[in-house]
Amino acid sequence: MRTKIQKKPKQHQQKHSGPQAEKKKLKKHGASTETDERKRNPKAFAVQSAVRMAKTFHRAQDIKAKKHHIPLVDRTPLEPPPIVVVVVGPPKVGKSTLVRCLIKNFTRQKLGEISGPVTIVSGKKRRLTFMECNNDINTMIDLAKVADLVLMLIDASFGFEMETFEFLNICQVHGFPRIMGVLTHLDSFKNNKTLRKTKKNLKHRFWTEVYQGAKLFYLSGMVYGEYQTQEVKNLGRFISVMKFRPLVWQTSHPYVLVDRMEDLTDPEKVRIDPKCDRTASLYGYLRGTHLKNKGQIHIPGVGDFQVKDVNFLPDPCPLPDAQKKRALNEKEHAVYIDLPASHVNQLQVCAEMQPTTELVQSLIDTHATLDAKMAASKVSLFSGSATLDPTDISEQKQALWDPKTQRERRKVLFAEEMKDDDEEDDEDEEEESEGGDEGESSGEDDLSEEEDNEEDCLSAFLKKSRGDSVKASGPPVKKSKVEAESERPVFADSEDELEMSEHESEGKDQPLGAGDSGHCSEDESDEESEDESEEGCLMSNTVTKTPCFILFVSTGALKWKENLQLKASQAFLRQQESAPNLRKLVYGSVVEVEDDEDEEELGGLFRVSRPQNNKRFQANDLDSSHFHPDTTHNWDLEEMLNSIRDCFVTGKWEEGQDAATLLKEDEELYGDFEDLETGEVQKGQAMREDLSEVTLTTRDALKFRAFLKKRRLKERFNAEYDDGDATYFDDLKEELQKQAELNRAEFEDVDDETRVQYEGFRPGMYVRLEISSLPCEFVTSFDPHYPIILGGLGSSEGNVGYLQMRLKKHRWHDRILKTRDPLILSLGWRRFQTIPLYHIEDHNGRHRLLKYTPLHMHCGASIWGPITPQGTGFLALQSLTGIKPNFRIAATGVVLDLDKSVTVVKKLKLIGYPYKIFKNTSFIKGMFNTVLEVAKFEGASVRTVSGIRGQIKKALSTPPGAYRATFEDRLLMSDIVFLRSWFPVAVPQLYNPVTSLLLPIGQKDSWSGMRTLGQLKHDLGIRYKPNSDSLYKPITRAPRRFNKLHIPKELQKALPFKNKPKQQQPKGKTSRDLQRPSVIREPHERKVAALLQALSTVHNYNRKKTHMVQHSKHKEFLKEKGKQEDAKLKRQKEARKKLYRVMGQMDQKKQRSSLKGAPQDD
Amino acid sequence: MASEGLSYDGCNFFRQRLVLSTLSGKRVKIKNIRSKEDDPGLREFEASFIRLLDKVTNGSRIEINQTGTVLFYQPGLLYGGSVEHECNPQRSIGYYLEALLMLGAFMKTPLKATLRGVTNDRTDPTVDLLKSTALPLMKKFGIDGEGFELKVVKRGMAPGGGGEVVFTCPVRRTIRPIQLTDPGKIKRIRGVAYSARVSPQMANRIVDSARGILNQFLPDIYIYTDHMKGANSGKSPGFGLTLVAETLNGCFLSAEMTSTPQGQGDPVLPEDLGRNCAKLLLEEVHRGGCVDSTNQSLALLLMTLGQQDVSKVLLGPLSPYTIEFLRHIRDFFQIMFKIEVQKPLEDERKGGDKVLLTGVGVGYSNINKTLK
Repeated sequence: MRTKIQKKPKQHQQKHSGPQAEKKKLKKHGASTETDERKRNPKAFAVQSAVRMAKTFHRAQDIKAKKHHIPLVDRTPLEPPPIVVVVVGPPKVGKSTLVRCLIKNFTRQKLGEISGPVTIVSGKKRRLTFMECNNDINTMIDLAKVADLVLMLIDASFGFEMETFEFLNICQVHGFPRIMGVLTHLDSFKNNKTLRKTKKNLKHRFWTEVYQGAKLFYLSGMVYGEYQTQEVKNLGRFISVMKFRPLVWQTSHPYVLVDRMEDLTDPEKVRIDPKCDRTASLYGYLRGTHLKNKGQIHIPGVGDFQVKDVNFLPDPCPLPDAQKKRALNEKEHAVYIDLPASHVNQLQVCAEMQPTTELVQSLIDTHATLDAKMAASKVSLFSGSATLDPTDISEQKQALWDPKTQRERRKVLFAEEMKDDDEEDDEDEEEESEGGDEGESSGEDDLSEEEDNEEDCLSAFLKKSRGDSVKASGPPVKKSKVEAESERPVFADSEDELEMSEHESEGKDQPLGAGDSGHCSEDESDEESEDESEEGCLMSNTVTKTPCFILFVSTGALKWKENLQLKASQAFLRQQESAPNLRKLVYGSVVEVEDDEDEEELGGLFRVSRPQNNKRFQANDLDSSHFHPDTTHNWDLEEMLNSIRDCFVTGKWEEGQDAATLLKEDEELYGDFEDLETGEVQKGQAMREDLSEVTLTTRDALKFRAFLKKRRLKERFNAEYDDGDATYFDDLKEELQKQAELNRAEFEDVDDETRVQYEGFRPGMYVRLEISSLPCEFVTSFDPHYPIILGGLGSSEGNVGYLQMRLKKHRWHDRILKTRDPLILSLGWRRFQTIPLYHIEDHNGRHRLLKYTPLHMHCGASIWGPITPQGTGFLALQSLTGIKPNFRIAATGVVLDLDKSVTVVKKLKLIGYPYKIFKNTSFIKGMFNTVLEVAKFEGASVRTVSGIRGQIKKALSTPPGAYRATFEDRLLMSDIVFLRSWFPVAVPQLYNPVTSLLLPIGQKDSWSGMRTLGQLKHDLGIRYKPNSDSLYKPITRAPRRFNKLHIPKELQKALPFKNKPKQQQPKGKTSRDLQRPSVIREPHERKVAALLQALSTVHNYNRKKTHMVQHSKHKEFLKEKGKQEDAKLKRQKEARKKLYRVMGQMDQKKQRSSLKGAPQDD
Repeated sequence: MASEGLSYDGCNFFRQRLVLSTLSGKRVKIKNIRSKEDDPGLREFEASFIRLLDKVTNGSRIEINQTGTVLFYQPGLLYGGSVEHECNPQRSIGYYLEALLMLGAFMKTPLKATLRGVTNDRTDPTVDLLKSTALPLMKKFGIDGEGFELKVVKRGMAPGGGGEVVFTCPVRRTIRPIQLTDPGKIKRIRGVAYSARVSPQMANRIVDSARGILNQFLPDIYIYTDHMKGANSGKSPGFGLTLVAETLNGCFLSAEMTSTPQGQGDPVLPEDLGRNCAKLLLEEVHRGGCVDSTNQSLALLLMTLGQQDVSKVLLGPLSPYTIEFLRHIRDFFQIMFKIEVQKPLEDERKGGDKVLLTGVGVGYSNINKTLK
C-alpha cells in the first residue's frame, strides 16, 4: 500500500523573478555578443603575475620545440626501392592469408604458398615487398632491421603472445619502423560485449607499446578462407599512403633484401668436393644508401664477406611512371600503343586502369648455372618465378590444416590479470581453446604441454616440440598438386575477370609455358637484346605482343640548361668532350689510345702521363704536396700579368655583378615613373638603351639577362618577405632542402654506368651481388622462408675491437645477468655471441667491475666485438633455441665507445700483518714478496681493519717483501693491514657470429653457441660446492658472565650513602642457642585451655547477641526520635505561620490606619 | 673478418697511404721501399712519421722488416689527446702536420700536438702556409671552434731545426658538405716575411721587393715581418716569405719561398726571394680555384669523409700529389670524383683552366668519439 502512495520527488520550480531569473534570461537571449572569452571577461585573463606568465610562455615554447625533429637531408632517391612490409605474428594467426589477400587486393592475383619476399606495384609511385616473418627469433631480429612497415598480427581470441612483445622490443632497439596492429580471429567471439571489451583491452595495451593512437586494424572474419575484401582493401589503402620517417641505421647503410639466389660454383668443383666454398650471386633491390663496389657486407646468419662484384640490372618490377609519362589518359594510351616495338611492360597500360606489376621473386637456386648464364642474367631474372608456385601449394595447405601442428603458445600475462590467471589458469585455458578455432583437443594439448613444462620435464618436452616443429615447417615438399590458378604463370600485370579467364584458357593450351620458359629463354641471346627483363616468361603467354612506346624523359634536366648562357653551354660541351680523357688520366681505368692533340690540349693542365708508364719511376719519389710546375710562366711579361687581371677586385667584373650594371638595372627597375602632373611618362634611360640594343645583341643573350634579372628580383623579394621571422630551425631546414636538391640534380644527366662509379649504386636499383667463398651450407641448406639480408658495412665496421656500451637488463627478463656469461647480441646487422663484462662508473670515472647487472639500473658492458658506430642500439639474448615461456630479450642498450683497449678494473685487497710495532711506525710483512714489489707501491696508502690509516714508506731488506709503514695511531699485533688496489680486467676475446642460416633446413632455429656457466653446470650435473666456512650455521651463544663490580674503597667513601654498596648480608639461619624451645602442655593444662576456649566462645556468642539486640533497639529509638522531631518542626512551622499572618495583618492595619487616620487625628 | 688489406710499391705517397688506412680502417702493406737504392729501406723521417702516427692512435700494429723495405700497417683507433713529438729535421714540421690536419678532427679526444723540429724549409709546405690556408679551409667543412688553432711558438730553420708548433684541433662526428664553385675575386693579400738568426733588415727587404710586384694588381697588401730572437729563433739562420691572397668568398691562395738552408746550395738574396715568391703567388692565382695547390688533397679528403651529400670544389690544375691522392681515395673508399674541366672564356682574364671536382661523401662518421 505504502509503495503505491509514495510521493514523487518535488518538481523543480523555475524561478520567474528575482536575480536568478534575470541572469538566466540574460543568458538565454545572448546578452553578451562577444564570443571571445578574453574580451568578454578581460578581468579573468588579466596578468596576475609576470613570473607566471613568463613560465607559461616558456612552457608553451618548450612544448613547441619538442615537436621539432632534427631535420635530415632527404636522401630518398627519385625512384625509391619497394617498401618492405613485414608481416609478423605468432604461428596460426593468419599471416600467410593476409599476405595473399593483400596481394590479391593489389594485383587481382591469387598466389599459392609464398615462401619468400613478394614485390608488387601498389600505385603510381609505390611498390611493396611483402615478407612473412616466421616464429624464429633470428628471423624476427633480421627483419626488424630492414622493415619499413610492420603488420603485427594478433590473435584476438588468444590475446597477446610473447612473440609480439619480443618483436616490439626488437623494433625499439633497431630503430622503430612503422607498426600497424592487425587483430584477427575476431569471429571466434560469440558474445558481442566480450568482443568489444577484448578489442578495447588489446588496443590500449598496443598503444602503450607503440604510441598513443597507433593504428590497429580489425579483420573481423573469414569468407571462404580469406579475409573480407573490404577490410583488406582498407588495409591496402592505409599501406599505400603511409609515410615513413628515415631510420638512422637504415639510411646510413646500404642493404639488400635478397629475393633471388643463384649458385655460380663450377659444378665440376662441387662434384669433386661437395663441401667446397661456393660462389653465389644474390639479387635484390638496393635500399638504404649508396652501395660501393667491392665493399664489405655482412649477411646476418652467415657472416662477413667481401663483395666480388656488383652490377645493376634493369628493374624487374618498374614503377609505371618510370616507363612512360603518365600524363595521357587511358584512352589516349591505347592509341599510342600501336607503335612498332616490342615491350611487354606496356601491357598493363592497355589492360587495366590500375597499373600493377606483380612479381614473385623465387628464391630457389637453379643448379644449371654457368658463366654463359651469368652473362645472360638480365633475362634469367624471372625464370624461377613461375616454377615456384605449383610446387608449394599443396604443401601450404598441409601446413595450415595439419592437425598435428601444435605448439606452445606463449601467452603474455599482465600484472592485473596475473592474479586471476594463477588461480583459474586451467579453466581459462579450456575456455579459450573452446573459443579458439583450434578446437578443444588442441587446447587441451596445449594445457598438458604447459603442465609438462611446469613439472620440469623440460627436456623431454623440448624434444617433442622440436620434433613437431620439424614436421610442421620441414623442407617444403616438392609435391605439386596442380591447381589451375596457381599453375598459370604470374603476370606482370593484373587483369579483370574476363581477361583472367582468357589467360587461363591459354595457360591450359600451353601448360608448360610458365615452368620452362624461365630456363629456356636464357639460352636465346636474341631475346636478350630485345627485352629488358622479365619478358622472357611473360611473352609466351600474352595475347598480343604489345608494342611499346618509350620516351626518355630528360626534359627536367634540359630545362635549366636552356636558360644558361650560350657560351656557357658551349664551354660545357667542350668540357664534356675532354672530361673522359681527364678521368682516364686520373683514374686510368680503361686503356685507350690517346690522341697527341688531346695530350697537348691538356698539357697546360696535367703533366702526369698514364700511371702505368711511370709507376716505377714514381714509386720512390719524394713525398711532398708542393706543386712545382715544370714550366713556369714568365711573370715579367705584360700579357701574362694581364691574363690574371680579372682575378682581383680591381679587375673587370662579370656583367651580373658589375657595379655599373647593377646600377643600371636599378634604374631600369625604379627608373620608370609617370609624372602625374604633366601626364608624361618618363622611360628609364636603360629602357631606351635596351631598345636600341635589341638590334645589336642576340636574342639569347637578352633572354639570359632577363632570366638573371628575374632571379635576382626573386631573391630580393624572398629576402624581404620570407625571412622576416625565420628561425634557426627554418634556416637549417632550407639549407638541407637545398642540399637534397643538389644531390638529386647533380648526377641526373649522367648515365648509370658512370654514375655508379661516382656515387656508388644508389638505392632503388635492382642489383646483383656476386660473393665468393660462401660456405657450402648456405647453398645446400637454403630455405627461402628465412630472409637473406646483405647489410653493407661502413669503412671500418669490418674490424673487431672493444666496445663499451650502456646496458640495462630488460625489465621483463626475470633474472639478472652474470659477468662473463656468454650473451648473444644483435648489434648493427650482426648477431653474435660474446662475453660481456659488466661494470659501473665510479664518481671518479673509474670503471669498476660488477659481478652481476644491477636489477633496475643501467650499467656499462665491455665486449670484444665488431666495430659499430656509437649510438647504435643493441639487444641481448641468452639463447636462441627452445621455447621458453618467459621473455627472451635479456638486455638492451647502446654503444658508447669503441677502443682497442679496455679500462675495466676490479678491486684487489692486499693483506699484510705487522710483526714489529714501534710508536706509530710498524713493520708489515706478508703483503709483498720482493723488494721490487714494495718499491712499486711506495707512498701508497694502507689501512687497518679497525680504520687506522697509514702509508707505505720503504722496503726492508729482510724478510723479503716486508716494509716500513707509518700510521696515524699505534697498531696492535692483532691488526690486519690491507692495501686497496685496482686490478685491470681483460675482456675475453670471444666473437662468435650466429650462423643460423647455415643450419640444416628445419633446424635453423636451433643454433647454440657457448653455454653459460649455469647451463654447463646444469647439463653436466655439477652442483656448486660452497666453502664450508661460508655456510650459515645455527648460532649458539654462551650465556654471558659478568665480573663483580669492584668499587675502590676511596670512591666508596666519597659516595653518598644511597649509592654506597651496602654491607648487609642476607639473614643467615638463627643459631641454636637463639631458637626458642616449643611448649608441650600437660593434660590438665590442656583441659583448662579447652574449657577456657569453650567459655570464651560462649561468652563471645552472648556478647554478640546482646549487641545485636541493643543495636536494633537503638534503631527503633532513633526512628521514634525522628518522628517526634518532625512533628515538633511541623508544629513550630504552623505556629510561625500563624504568627506571621497576625503580624502581617497588624502591619496592614497599621499602614491603613496611618494613611487614613492621620488627617482625622490631626 | 673478411677485410682485405691493400698493397703498394715504393715509398712515394707514404703519408697518404698511412693516413687513408687509418681513416678507413683498412690494412696496408707497402713493399719495395727504396729496395733498389744504395741506402734501402725507410728513412729517419718516415720512421719519425710512423712514430707520430703510433702516438695519436691506440692499438695500431706496425711491422717493418729487417731492411726496412717492407712496411705493414694495421691501423688502430685514433686517440688524440696531448701528444709531443720530436720531428726528424730531414723534413719540416709541415710534412707531419699535413697528416695531422687530415686526422685531427676524427680523434677520440681533442688533439693537442706539440711538434718540434724544422718549421720552414723548401720541400714541404711551411707551418705559416698551413696556418693561413689549411685552417680556413677546414673551417668551411665545419671544423672550427675555439680549440682550433695552429701556433708557431718557436721558429726553426733547416737544417738545424729547433722550432716548435702547437696544433690543437677539436673533434667532430660528421663533416659538412661544401659547395665551393666560385672563388670570387681577390680582395687582399697578406703575408709573413720571417727571419731567424739573420739581420732583421732581411724581412723588410723581402717585403719591399714582393710589394713591388703585387702592387700592380691590388693596393690592399700587407706583409708582416716576423723576426724571432733568442731562444725562439731555433738553431739555424734563414729567412723566407709566405704570401696569401684572400678572395671575397673566403678562399685562400698562397705561395711561399724559403732561403736555402745554411751550407746547402747558393745563398739567396732577400730581394730575389721576395720577387720570386710574389711571382709564385701570381702563378697560383693563374692556376686559380677555391683551394690552393697545397691543400687540394686535404679538401678532397674532407669531401670524401662527408655525409652522403654532393660536395663540389673548384680547383686549379691538379697536382701530381692530388692525382695520386684521388687514386688512393678510390682504393680506400671506393669513391670517384666527377672531374670537369672549366676552360676560361675568351674575353676572360682569369688565368688557366680550372677543374671542378664533384663527389659524394661516403657517409663517414667519427667512430672514435665517445658518446656521453
